[in-house]
Amino acid sequence: MELKYYIIRRLLVLIPTIIGLLLLTFILLRAIPVNDLIANYVNQKATPAEKALEKQQAITLLGLGQPLPVQFFTYLTDVANGNLGNMYSAYYNGGVLRGIELFLPVTLEIAIFTVIFSVLISIPLGTFIGSRPNSVSDSVGRVFSLIFYAMPIFWLALMLQYAFGKNLLFLGSYGLPINGQGFPIQQVGFVHNHTGYSYSVPTHMLFIDAVLNLDFPLAVVAFEHLILPVLTLSMTVLAGLLRFIRAGMVDTSNQEYIKTARAKGVPEKLVLKRHIRKNALLPSVTVIGLLVAGLLGGAVVVEDIFQITGLGRLSLAAITGTSGNGANIQFFGVAGTVLFFGLILMLTNLIVDIVYAFLDPRIRY
Amino acid sequence: MIVEESKTEKKKNLKPYVEVKDLVTQFFTSRGIVKALDKVSFSVYPGEIYGLVGESGCGKSVTSTSVMDLIPDPPGRIISGEIYIDGFNIIADLNKMARIKIKSETDVRIRRYKKAIKRHNNVLSKIRGDKIAMIFQEPFLALNPTMTIGDQIMEVIMLHNISSISNSILRRENISSGEVRNFITEFYSINDETQKRKEVNNFAASYAIQEFEESILSLLATSDDKQYIENEILNMVRENRTGMNIQNIREIKGYFDLQNDIFQNTLRLLQAERNGDSSAIKQFNSELSKLKRIEASSFFLLRLKLKFAYKYVMKEYRKEARRRTLELLTLVNIAGPEVVIDSYPHELSGGMQQRAMIAMSLASNPRMLIADEPTTALDVTTQAQILEIIKDLNKLIGMAVLFITHDLAVIAETCNRVGVMYAGNIVEESSTIEIFNDPKHPYTVGLMSSVPRADKKREKEIKLETIPGTVPNLITPPSGCRFHPRCKFAMDICSLKKPKLVEISERHKVACFLYSDESEVE
Ligand SMILES: Nc1ncnc2c1ncn2[C@@H]1O[C@H](COP(=O)(O)OP(=O)(O)O)[C@@H](O)[C@H]1O
Ligand code: SF4
Ligand SMILES: [Mg+2]
Repeated sequence: MELKYYIIRRLLVLIPTIIGLLLLTFILLRAIPVNDLIANYVNQKATPAEKALEKQQAITLLGLGQPLPVQFFTYLTDVANGNLGNMYSAYYNGGVLRGIELFLPVTLEIAIFTVIFSVLISIPLGTFIGSRPNSVSDSVGRVFSLIFYAMPIFWLALMLQYAFGKNLLFLGSYGLPINGQGFPIQQVGFVHNHTGYSYSVPTHMLFIDAVLNLDFPLAVVAFEHLILPVLTLSMTVLAGLLRFIRAGMVDTSNQEYIKTARAKGVPEKLVLKRHIRKNALLPSVTVIGLLVAGLLGGAVVVEDIFQITGLGRLSLAAITGTSGNGANIQFFGVAGTVLFFGLILMLTNLIVDIVYAFLDPRIRY
Repeated sequence: MIVEESKTEKKKNLKPYVEVKDLVTQFFTSRGIVKALDKVSFSVYPGEIYGLVGESGCGKSVTSTSVMDLIPDPPGRIISGEIYIDGFNIIADLNKMARIKIKSETDVRIRRYKKAIKRHNNVLSKIRGDKIAMIFQEPFLALNPTMTIGDQIMEVIMLHNISSISNSILRRENISSGEVRNFITEFYSINDETQKRKEVNNFAASYAIQEFEESILSLLATSDDKQYIENEILNMVRENRTGMNIQNIREIKGYFDLQNDIFQNTLRLLQAERNGDSSAIKQFNSELSKLKRIEASSFFLLRLKLKFAYKYVMKEYRKEARRRTLELLTLVNIAGPEVVIDSYPHELSGGMQQRAMIAMSLASNPRMLIADEPTTALDVTTQAQILEIIKDLNKLIGMAVLFITHDLAVIAETCNRVGVMYAGNIVEESSTIEIFNDPKHPYTVGLMSSVPRADKKREKEIKLETIPGTVPNLITPPSGCRFHPRCKFAMDICSLKKPKLVEISERHKVACFLYSDESEVE
């Protein structure tokens, strides 16, 4: 029962956090000159007099003449009503919320696979090297994890493309897809075309939907498209986790209760499994929450390089958005995607905290 | 309040349960080699409480940790010496496990041999916790924070007592009317109420039917018809049989018995190897491989089943282990054992945690307990209670105790014999009475006069005579007698040679040139 109240409390705390996040985005975006914000609403070919008139109309229409607090409050009310505004860019035109609905699942799919892959690799590897500190395998593991942890993600993405990509350096046509080309999705029943954007049902995650619809050839193609982006994102997450788990193993091994376990006559294998590993892995759960933050930042870069139609690319499009009138920042697009990135992060941390509280008996809600 | 010298110890020919000879333990640190123990020798006899006392940093914990062979490596290692536990030298293979090359104080190369270390650990894990158990200064740090108290105690039972649990369960499943009749006759022949209770308790325990204890008692109290009682008890037990396949339990018992045989054989083989007895080596080797073949052929399936299919059988074992755990918790005076068994360490007070530690150390019925400052972290009242428990256990089940403390008052209250440690040496050893009444070594003398004593008259007027100087740094310990820089009586020879621990009167040993001549050096 305590857990229920803990979750409710944490969910309530989300509200001010979200308002704070929106306020910050609002302030940063409103620091941009009004002229740039409304450039989209003005016909570039008009005469200066017409332009001035159009601008005046846009300002009235958008309420940009009102005091800033009033503007923010108006925006908040709109957000609360589910109205995130529209955006215009070469990548996507239309309602921001609709855009997020279409593109967020793609990012989520990559993120989910990244987290699963990283956790599955880093736990056995981390416990292995952490159980023999200063051995050769430990040194190798530490050097590699440091390299990948420090490596810029765009560079890693490009290198992986060169190494494993289709028709690039080594693998020729056996290589993995490096961009969005090659999806035979037009013939697939559960993929819809909606004003130029394809999406699958029910989850909008192509691989998962393909599996759910038992279309395995498509699942294979979708999976191939996931490999390189997930690998790229995983390397940094994995490296971070690996370092943390290793440190946890070493630290736990030196604890007094491990000595107790040995004094009880617990065989070495069980000491490692039952006493060291469990206690060492607990704190790593919290780190996963932090790593997801890095992962979302990486997603923007990775989606751009691999031409994945996800939330990262949508946010990038909102920032650099073009609509024939030159590059223009899209207020609603930026604010909306930032809001959702923030939401994902907050929810991940909430889940992580709940899982942690569940696993560690010392935590009180 | 000084404890009488234990009677068993007075028998001269008694064999020590633990015997430590010339133990040298060192730590290789970046600042140099810490020569923590420099040829420490002592013995603990069955049934006695041996106290080890000395200032903090003198090597008491290193001694106790060495006896369990639990010195953390790196940085530490036992360098040489012998440690006999119940007659078996646990560190005879030191040289097979590692080669140490000392290039300089800060540059020590250690080459470890994994196979030998693994074999050593396998043997030791059967000895630790089984023949000898240990409790620590900080029970909170010594308990696993994410396991319940019950799970931690049950772990010991499941490791060391599987066979006896199998026996209880088997006996329960096969309970016969004759056995019950014997018990009833036995019960009625007793007059004392508490004795009667105890009889029922024993009966229930040996058949793993503790949950019927109350019903059996009331049955015996309400009826006189022996035949009726007998049938009732039999029905009670039989109706509640788990329906477990007896064959399964026999099989499991067989497996663990075989494991035990393998272990015993390994020990014999090790002993033979040490003696260089080639025919015995051959014999035990072939026996061992025979046993291992049996294990591989007959128990291959069982091992898989134990892992994947026998959850329900193991549940019965755990149930029995849980019963025993509850008994242990009651034995160490834990109030509300049913609650404590499912608590986590952080939910208990320090005293309760230490009691739980003691219960855990008792779980496998070891014949000796090492208690490393078990009361130092506790408040005074709790301290007294814990001491009382340890003393009771010593009296009740004759468990030997190696009791470590820096508190002379605690020594006086608990121990039969005392070893006084100074900077990695035992400098004096005697019965508690003699140490207090007639200390010989200048360090002991200083130590005794630095404590206010109730039995000394006008103690307030006596100025505490503290020993001048400080405990030496063990990286560069003083030469010869390590106490010489602080000793009032130091002579020339004291800085040149190390005095040997010699017997100056019956069972009173001192390492000091005041009591021995120069010939007795190490
Ligand atoms: N892990 C370690 N590394 C280095 N030195 C150690 C280590 N453990 C103990 N020592 C040294 O061994 C000596 C004895 O310590 P210890 O046995 O803990 O003393 P105490 O008598 O207080 O229990 C001390 O000088 C200490 O510095
Ligand atoms: S041997 Fe010498 S220095 Fe050491 S205690 Fe005896 S008299 Fe003092
Ligand atoms: Mg100590």
